[in-house]
Amino acid sequence: MHQVADVEVAKNIMDANKRLADKNLKNLEEKDIFCVDFVGAIGSGKTTLVEEIIDNTDYKIGVLAGDVISKFDAGRIEKHNVPVVGLNTGKECHLDAHLVGHGLEDLPLDDLDMVIIENVGNLICPVDFDLGSHLRIVVVSVTEGDDTVEKHPIIFQTSDVVVINKVDLADAVGADADKMVADAKKLNPNVKVIKSSLKQGIGLDEIIQVIEEAMN
Amino acid sequence: MHELSMAQGIINAVLETAEANNATEVNEVTVEVGRLAMINPEQLEFILGVLIENTIMEDAKIVFEEIPAEIECNDCKFHGEAILDDSDHYAPLVKCPECDSLSVETLNGKDIVVKNIVIEKPDDA
Ligand SMILES: Nc1nc2c(ncn2[C@@H]2O[C@H](COP(=O)(O)OP(=O)(O)O)[C@@H](O)[C@H]2O)c(=O)[nH]1
Ligand SMILES: [Mg+2]
Ligand SMILES: [Zn+2]
Ligand SMILES: [Zn+2]
Ligand SMILES: [Zn+2]
Ligand SMILES: [Zn+2]
Repeated sequence: MHQVADVEVAKNIMDANKRLADKNLKNLEEKDIFCVDFVGAIGSGKTTLVEEIIDNTDYKIGVLAGDVISKFDAGRIEKHNVPVVGLNTGKECHLDAHLVGHGLEDLPLDDLDMVIIENVGNLICPVDFDLGSHLRIVVVSVTEGDDTVEKHPIIFQTSDVVVINKVDLADAVGADADKMVADAKKLNPNVKVIKSSLKQGIGLDEIIQVIEEAMN
Repeated sequence: MHELSMAQGIINAVLETAEANNATEVNEVTVEVGRLAMINPEQLEFILGVLIENTIMEDAKIVFEEIPAEIECNDCKFHGEAILDDSDHYAPLVKCPECDSLSVETLNGKDIVVKNIVIEKPDDA
Protein backbone atom coordinates (compact mmCIF):
# COMPACT_ATOMS: atom_id res chain seq x y z
CA MET A 1 0.00 0.00 0.00
CA HIS A 2 1.03 3.58 -0.26
CA GLN A 3 0.19 6.99 1.09
CA VAL A 4 0.08 10.42 -0.47
CA ALA A 5 2.03 13.24 1.17
CA ASP A 6 2.43 16.94 0.55
CA VAL A 7 6.07 17.87 1.04
CA GLU A 8 7.52 21.36 1.17
CA VAL A 9 10.47 21.97 -1.15
CA ALA A 10 10.91 25.78 -0.90
CA LYS A 11 13.85 25.82 -3.23
CA ASN A 12 14.62 29.00 -5.10
CA ILE A 13 16.13 28.01 -8.44
CA MET A 14 17.77 31.44 -8.75
CA ASP A 15 19.63 31.04 -5.45
CA ALA A 16 22.29 28.71 -6.78
CA ASN A 17 23.47 31.38 -9.20
CA LYS A 18 23.28 34.13 -6.56
CA ARG A 19 25.38 32.11 -4.16
CA LEU A 20 28.03 31.50 -6.80
CA ALA A 21 27.99 35.19 -7.77
CA ASP A 22 28.64 36.13 -4.14
CA LYS A 23 31.48 33.63 -4.06
CA ASN A 24 33.02 35.13 -7.21
CA LEU A 25 32.79 38.61 -5.75
CA LYS A 26 34.40 37.52 -2.49
CA ASN A 27 37.16 35.75 -4.38
CA LEU A 28 37.84 38.92 -6.41
CA GLU A 29 37.76 41.20 -3.38
CA GLU A 30 40.20 39.05 -1.48
CA LYS A 31 42.63 39.73 -4.31
CA ASP A 32 41.74 43.43 -4.53
CA ILE A 33 40.43 43.06 -8.06
CA PHE A 34 37.76 45.31 -9.53
CA CYS A 35 35.34 43.51 -11.83
CA VAL A 36 33.13 45.05 -14.49
CA ASP A 37 30.80 43.18 -16.82
CA PHE A 38 29.55 44.32 -20.22
CA VAL A 39 26.18 43.29 -21.54
CA GLY A 40 24.50 44.32 -24.77
CA ALA A 41 23.26 43.08 -28.12
CA ILE A 42 25.47 41.30 -30.64
CA GLY A 43 27.64 43.85 -32.41
CA SER A 44 26.95 46.79 -30.08
CA GLY A 45 30.67 47.29 -29.41
CA LYS A 46 31.41 45.28 -26.28
CA THR A 47 34.63 43.69 -27.53
CA THR A 48 35.75 47.01 -29.00
CA LEU A 49 35.25 48.63 -25.61
CA VAL A 50 37.27 45.88 -23.91
CA GLU A 51 40.08 46.45 -26.42
CA GLU A 52 40.02 50.23 -26.00
CA ILE A 53 40.13 50.01 -22.21
CA ILE A 54 43.09 47.65 -22.39
CA ASP A 55 44.97 49.94 -24.77
CA ASN A 56 44.18 53.19 -22.98
CA THR A 57 44.70 52.38 -19.30
CA ASP A 58 47.55 50.98 -17.21
CA TYR A 59 45.47 48.47 -15.29
CA LYS A 60 46.57 44.87 -15.25
CA ILE A 61 43.47 43.49 -16.90
CA GLY A 62 42.25 39.95 -17.40
CA VAL A 63 39.25 39.20 -19.61
CA LEU A 64 36.50 36.60 -19.60
CA ALA A 65 35.05 36.60 -23.10
CA GLY A 66 31.65 34.97 -23.19
CA ASP A 67 30.01 33.93 -26.40
CA VAL A 68 28.02 31.12 -27.88
CA ILE A 69 31.33 30.27 -29.52
CA SER A 70 33.86 32.35 -27.65
CA LYS A 71 37.09 31.83 -29.53
CA PHE A 72 36.59 34.73 -31.96
CA ASP A 73 36.39 37.49 -29.36
CA ALA A 74 39.01 35.80 -27.21
CA GLY A 75 41.35 35.76 -30.22
CA ARG A 76 40.83 39.49 -30.79
CA ILE A 77 41.55 40.32 -27.17
CA GLU A 78 44.62 38.09 -26.99
CA LYS A 79 46.31 40.33 -29.54
CA HIS A 80 46.36 43.05 -26.88
CA ASN A 81 48.65 40.93 -24.71
CA VAL A 82 46.36 40.37 -21.77
CA PRO A 83 45.24 37.06 -20.27
CA VAL A 84 41.88 36.06 -21.68
CA VAL A 85 39.64 33.05 -21.10
CA GLY A 86 36.87 32.28 -23.57
CA LEU A 87 33.65 31.09 -21.98
CA ASN A 88 31.52 29.03 -24.31
CA THR A 89 27.88 29.04 -23.36
CA GLY A 90 26.90 26.61 -26.10
CA LYS A 91 23.13 26.54 -26.26
CA GLU A 92 22.66 29.07 -23.51
CA CYS A 93 21.88 32.68 -24.07
CA HIS A 94 23.74 34.11 -21.09
CA LEU A 95 26.75 33.67 -18.84
CA ASP A 96 26.10 32.46 -15.35
CA ALA A 97 28.08 32.73 -12.15
CA HIS A 98 29.15 29.10 -12.38
CA LEU A 99 30.85 29.57 -15.77
CA VAL A 100 32.43 32.80 -14.56
CA GLY A 101 33.72 31.03 -11.45
CA HIS A 102 35.54 28.50 -13.63
CA GLY A 103 36.81 31.31 -15.86
CA LEU A 104 38.30 33.07 -12.85
CA GLU A 105 40.14 29.85 -11.93
CA ASP A 106 41.88 30.07 -15.29
CA LEU A 107 42.97 33.71 -14.98
CA PRO A 108 46.23 34.64 -13.19
CA LEU A 109 44.33 36.61 -10.53
CA ASP A 110 47.42 37.32 -8.43
CA ASP A 111 48.80 39.41 -11.28
CA LEU A 112 45.62 41.37 -12.02
CA ASP A 113 43.83 44.42 -10.71
CA MET A 114 40.84 44.38 -13.04
CA VAL A 115 38.69 41.66 -14.60
CA ILE A 116 36.40 42.53 -17.48
CA ILE A 117 33.62 40.10 -18.37
CA GLU A 118 32.01 40.32 -21.80
CA ASN A 119 28.60 38.69 -21.66
CA VAL A 120 26.84 36.94 -24.53
CA GLY A 121 25.07 39.33 -26.92
CA ASN A 122 21.59 39.50 -25.39
CA LEU A 123 19.59 42.25 -23.68
CA ILE A 124 17.14 39.97 -21.90
CA CYS A 125 18.60 36.89 -20.28
CA PRO A 126 21.61 38.34 -18.41
CA VAL A 127 19.12 40.17 -16.18
CA ASP A 128 18.46 36.93 -14.32
CA PHE A 129 22.12 36.13 -13.70
CA ASP A 130 24.41 38.15 -11.46
CA LEU A 131 28.00 37.22 -12.15
CA GLY A 132 29.69 38.74 -9.12
CA SER A 133 30.95 41.93 -10.76
CA HIS A 134 31.12 45.33 -9.05
CA LEU A 135 29.76 47.26 -12.01
CA ARG A 136 27.49 46.33 -14.90
CA ILE A 137 27.73 48.37 -18.09
CA VAL A 138 25.17 47.91 -20.83
CA VAL A 139 26.45 48.79 -24.31
CA VAL A 140 23.86 49.56 -26.99
CA SER A 141 24.42 51.09 -30.38
CA VAL A 142 22.28 53.52 -32.32
CA THR A 143 22.22 51.07 -35.23
CA GLU A 144 19.99 48.74 -33.20
CA GLY A 145 17.30 51.42 -33.50
CA ASP A 146 16.56 54.23 -31.09
CA ASP A 147 13.72 52.28 -29.50
CA THR A 148 16.13 49.63 -28.19
CA VAL A 149 16.30 51.15 -24.71
CA GLU A 150 12.57 51.42 -24.14
CA LYS A 151 12.08 47.90 -25.50
CA HIS A 152 14.36 46.30 -22.92
CA PRO A 153 13.53 48.16 -19.72
CA ILE A 154 14.80 45.73 -17.13
CA ILE A 155 18.41 45.51 -18.26
CA PHE A 156 18.59 49.32 -18.16
CA GLN A 157 16.97 49.43 -14.74
CA THR A 158 19.47 46.94 -13.36
CA SER A 159 22.71 48.20 -14.93
CA ASP A 160 24.97 50.86 -13.42
CA VAL A 161 26.16 52.52 -16.61
CA VAL A 162 24.65 52.84 -20.09
CA VAL A 163 26.86 53.39 -23.13
CA ILE A 164 25.09 54.54 -26.32
CA ASN A 165 27.67 53.60 -28.94
CA LYS A 166 28.19 54.28 -32.64
CA VAL A 167 26.84 57.82 -32.48
CA ASP A 168 28.92 58.43 -35.63
CA LEU A 169 26.32 56.35 -37.48
CA ALA A 170 23.22 57.96 -35.95
CA ASP A 171 22.42 60.17 -38.95
CA ALA A 172 23.07 57.39 -41.42
CA VAL A 173 20.53 55.10 -39.76
CA GLY A 174 18.14 57.88 -38.75
CA ALA A 175 18.45 57.20 -35.03
CA ASP A 176 18.10 59.80 -32.29
CA ALA A 177 20.85 59.12 -29.74
CA ASP A 178 19.44 61.71 -27.34
CA LYS A 179 16.12 59.87 -27.25
CA MET A 180 18.02 56.78 -26.13
CA VAL A 181 19.73 58.81 -23.40
CA ALA A 182 16.38 60.19 -22.26
CA ASP A 183 14.79 56.71 -22.25
CA ALA A 184 17.61 55.32 -20.13
CA LYS A 185 17.33 58.21 -17.66
CA LYS A 186 13.60 57.74 -17.44
CA LEU A 187 14.01 54.04 -16.66
CA ASN A 188 16.85 54.57 -14.22
CA PRO A 189 17.33 58.17 -13.05
CA ASN A 190 20.54 57.32 -11.19
CA VAL A 191 22.21 55.63 -14.11
CA LYS A 192 25.21 57.20 -15.80
CA VAL A 193 24.63 57.50 -19.56
CA ILE A 194 27.51 58.08 -21.98
CA LYS A 195 27.28 58.61 -25.72
CA SER A 196 30.25 57.18 -27.56
CA SER A 197 31.82 56.46 -30.86
CA LEU A 198 34.44 53.93 -29.98
CA LYS A 199 35.55 53.97 -33.62
CA GLN A 200 36.44 57.65 -33.26
CA GLY A 201 37.61 57.54 -29.65
CA ILE A 202 34.66 59.63 -28.49
CA GLY A 203 33.33 58.95 -25.01
CA LEU A 204 36.04 56.50 -24.03
CA ASP A 205 37.65 58.83 -21.46
CA GLU A 206 34.29 59.31 -19.82
CA ILE A 207 33.66 55.55 -19.66
CA ILE A 208 37.07 54.97 -18.09
CA GLN A 209 36.40 57.79 -15.62
CA VAL A 210 33.10 56.22 -14.54
CA ILE A 211 34.81 52.87 -13.99
CA GLU A 212 37.50 54.57 -11.92
CA GLU A 213 34.91 56.39 -9.83
CA ALA A 214 33.25 53.07 -9.08
CA MET A 215 36.60 51.57 -8.05
CA ASN A 216 37.04 54.09 -5.24
CA MET B 1 15.01 32.18 -22.83
CA HIS B 2 17.03 30.03 -20.50
CA GLU B 3 14.19 27.72 -19.75
CA LEU B 4 16.43 24.69 -20.18
CA SER B 5 18.69 25.46 -17.24
CA MET B 6 15.71 26.55 -15.14
CA ALA B 7 13.87 23.32 -15.96
CA GLN B 8 16.92 21.32 -14.98
CA GLY B 9 17.10 23.18 -11.66
CA ILE B 10 13.44 22.54 -10.95
CA ILE B 11 13.72 18.83 -11.70
CA ASN B 12 16.81 18.45 -9.53
CA ALA B 13 15.04 20.15 -6.62
CA VAL B 14 11.95 17.97 -7.02
CA LEU B 15 13.81 14.68 -7.34
CA GLU B 16 16.10 15.48 -4.40
CA THR B 17 13.17 16.13 -2.09
CA ALA B 18 11.20 13.20 -3.48
CA GLU B 19 14.06 10.78 -2.90
CA ALA B 20 14.74 12.12 0.59
CA ASN B 21 11.10 11.32 1.37
CA ASN B 22 11.19 7.83 -0.17
CA ALA B 23 8.71 8.80 -2.86
CA THR B 24 7.80 6.20 -5.43
CA GLU B 25 6.01 8.74 -7.54
CA VAL B 26 5.53 12.49 -7.76
CA ASN B 27 1.90 13.46 -8.44
CA GLU B 28 2.10 17.22 -8.40
CA VAL B 29 4.68 19.99 -8.38
CA THR B 30 3.95 23.62 -7.57
CA VAL B 31 6.36 26.18 -8.96
CA GLU B 32 6.20 29.90 -8.24
CA VAL B 33 7.27 31.99 -11.19
CA GLY B 34 7.99 35.67 -10.62
CA ARG B 35 6.44 37.96 -13.19
CA LEU B 36 9.85 39.53 -13.72
CA ALA B 37 11.84 36.34 -14.26
CA MET B 38 13.04 36.34 -17.85
CA ILE B 39 11.40 33.09 -18.79
CA ASN B 40 8.31 32.08 -20.65
CA PRO B 41 6.17 29.68 -18.55
CA GLU B 42 4.82 28.02 -21.67
CA GLN B 43 8.29 27.19 -22.92
CA LEU B 44 9.30 26.10 -19.44
CA GLU B 45 6.35 23.73 -19.26
CA PHE B 46 7.21 22.27 -22.63
CA ILE B 47 10.84 21.61 -21.74
CA LEU B 48 9.90 20.19 -18.33
CA GLY B 49 7.54 17.78 -20.09
CA VAL B 50 10.42 16.49 -22.20
CA LEU B 51 12.96 16.25 -19.38
CA ILE B 52 10.78 14.39 -16.87
CA GLU B 53 10.26 11.41 -19.14
CA ASN B 54 11.41 8.20 -17.46
CA THR B 55 11.68 9.75 -13.99
CA ILE B 56 9.39 9.28 -11.00
CA MET B 57 7.88 12.68 -11.82
CA GLU B 58 6.96 11.61 -15.33
CA ASP B 59 3.20 11.86 -14.71
CA ALA B 60 3.28 14.80 -12.32
CA LYS B 61 0.92 17.68 -12.84
CA ILE B 62 2.95 20.89 -12.86
CA VAL B 63 1.18 23.90 -11.39
CA PHE B 64 2.62 27.34 -11.98
CA GLU B 65 1.74 30.12 -9.57
CA GLU B 66 2.45 33.61 -10.76
CA ILE B 67 4.16 35.89 -8.23
CA PRO B 68 3.47 39.57 -8.85
CA ALA B 69 6.17 42.22 -8.98
CA GLU B 70 6.50 43.96 -5.62
CA ILE B 71 8.20 47.33 -5.76
CA GLU B 72 9.13 50.39 -3.80
CA CYS B 73 8.86 53.63 -5.76
CA ASN B 74 11.89 55.90 -5.59
CA ASP B 75 9.74 58.96 -6.26
CA CYS B 76 6.61 58.64 -4.13
CA LYS B 77 7.72 55.80 -1.81
CA PHE B 78 4.72 53.64 -2.77
CA HIS B 79 5.28 50.06 -1.64
CA GLY B 80 3.29 47.25 -3.19
CA GLU B 81 2.39 45.58 -6.43
CA ALA B 82 3.67 47.24 -9.59
CA ILE B 83 1.82 47.85 -12.81
CA LEU B 84 3.39 45.71 -15.50
CA ASP B 85 3.02 46.88 -19.03
CA ASP B 86 4.08 44.12 -21.34
CA SER B 87 1.65 44.89 -24.09
CA ASP B 88 4.48 45.35 -26.54
CA HIS B 89 7.44 44.07 -24.57
CA TYR B 90 8.64 40.61 -23.86
CA ALA B 91 10.36 42.06 -20.83
CA PRO B 92 7.67 43.96 -18.94
CA LEU B 93 7.92 47.62 -18.10
CA VAL B 94 7.70 48.04 -14.34
CA LYS B 95 5.78 51.12 -13.24
CA CYS B 96 4.61 52.69 -9.99
CA PRO B 97 0.78 52.51 -9.85
CA GLU B 98 0.60 55.75 -7.82
CA CYS B 99 2.77 58.18 -9.77
CA ASP B 100 3.69 56.31 -12.98
CA SER B 101 7.39 56.56 -12.19
CA LEU B 102 9.68 54.01 -13.80
CA SER B 103 12.27 54.56 -11.10
CA VAL B 104 11.48 51.71 -8.74
CA GLU B 105 13.32 49.15 -6.64
CA THR B 106 12.13 45.60 -7.21
CA LEU B 107 11.57 43.76 -3.93
CA ASN B 108 9.97 40.58 -5.20
CA GLY B 109 8.92 38.88 -8.43
CA LYS B 110 12.26 37.88 -9.95
CA ASP B 111 12.51 34.36 -8.57
CA ILE B 112 11.53 30.88 -9.58
CA VAL B 113 10.78 28.75 -6.54
CA VAL B 114 9.80 25.10 -6.28
CA LYS B 115 7.24 25.43 -3.51
CA ASN B 116 6.00 21.95 -2.74
CA ILE B 117 5.37 18.53 -4.20
CA VAL B 118 2.72 15.89 -3.67
CA ILE B 119 4.26 12.42 -3.58
CA GLU B 120 3.26 8.82 -3.15
CA LYS B 121 5.28 6.64 -0.83
CA PRO B 122 5.02 3.22 0.81
CA ASP B 123 3.02 3.15 4.07
CA ASP B 124 5.89 1.97 6.21
CA ALA B 125 8.48 4.44 4.96
N1 LIG C 1 30.88 52.94 -36.82
C1 LIG C 1 31.18 52.41 -35.64
N2 LIG C 1 31.46 51.10 -35.57
C2 LIG C 1 31.78 50.57 -34.36
C3 LIG C 1 31.80 51.36 -33.18
N3 LIG C 1 32.12 50.57 -32.14
C4 LIG C 1 32.29 49.32 -32.65
N4 LIG C 1 32.09 49.34 -33.99
C5 LIG C 1 32.14 48.18 -34.92
O1 LIG C 1 31.01 47.36 -34.71
C6 LIG C 1 31.33 45.99 -34.97
C7 LIG C 1 30.95 45.12 -33.78
O2 LIG C 1 31.74 45.49 -32.67
P1 LIG C 1 32.13 44.46 -31.52
O3 LIG C 1 32.99 45.19 -30.56
O4 LIG C 1 32.66 43.20 -32.10
O5 LIG C 1 30.69 44.18 -30.89
P2 LIG C 1 30.23 43.09 -29.78
O6 LIG C 1 29.52 42.00 -30.52
O7 LIG C 1 29.31 43.84 -28.88
O8 LIG C 1 31.45 42.61 -29.07
C8 LIG C 1 32.81 45.96 -35.25
O9 LIG C 1 32.99 45.92 -36.64
C9 LIG C 1 33.31 47.27 -34.67
O10 LIG C 1 34.46 47.74 -35.32
C10 LIG C 1 31.50 52.76 -33.30
O11 LIG C 1 31.49 53.54 -32.34
N5 LIG C 1 31.20 53.22 -34.56
MG1 LIG D 1 32.03 40.64 -28.69
ZN1 LIG E 1 31.68 23.48 -12.15
ZN1 LIG F 1 17.12 33.18 -22.39
ZN1 LIG G 1 19.74 32.50 -20.77
ZN1 LIG H 1 5.51 56.31 -7.27
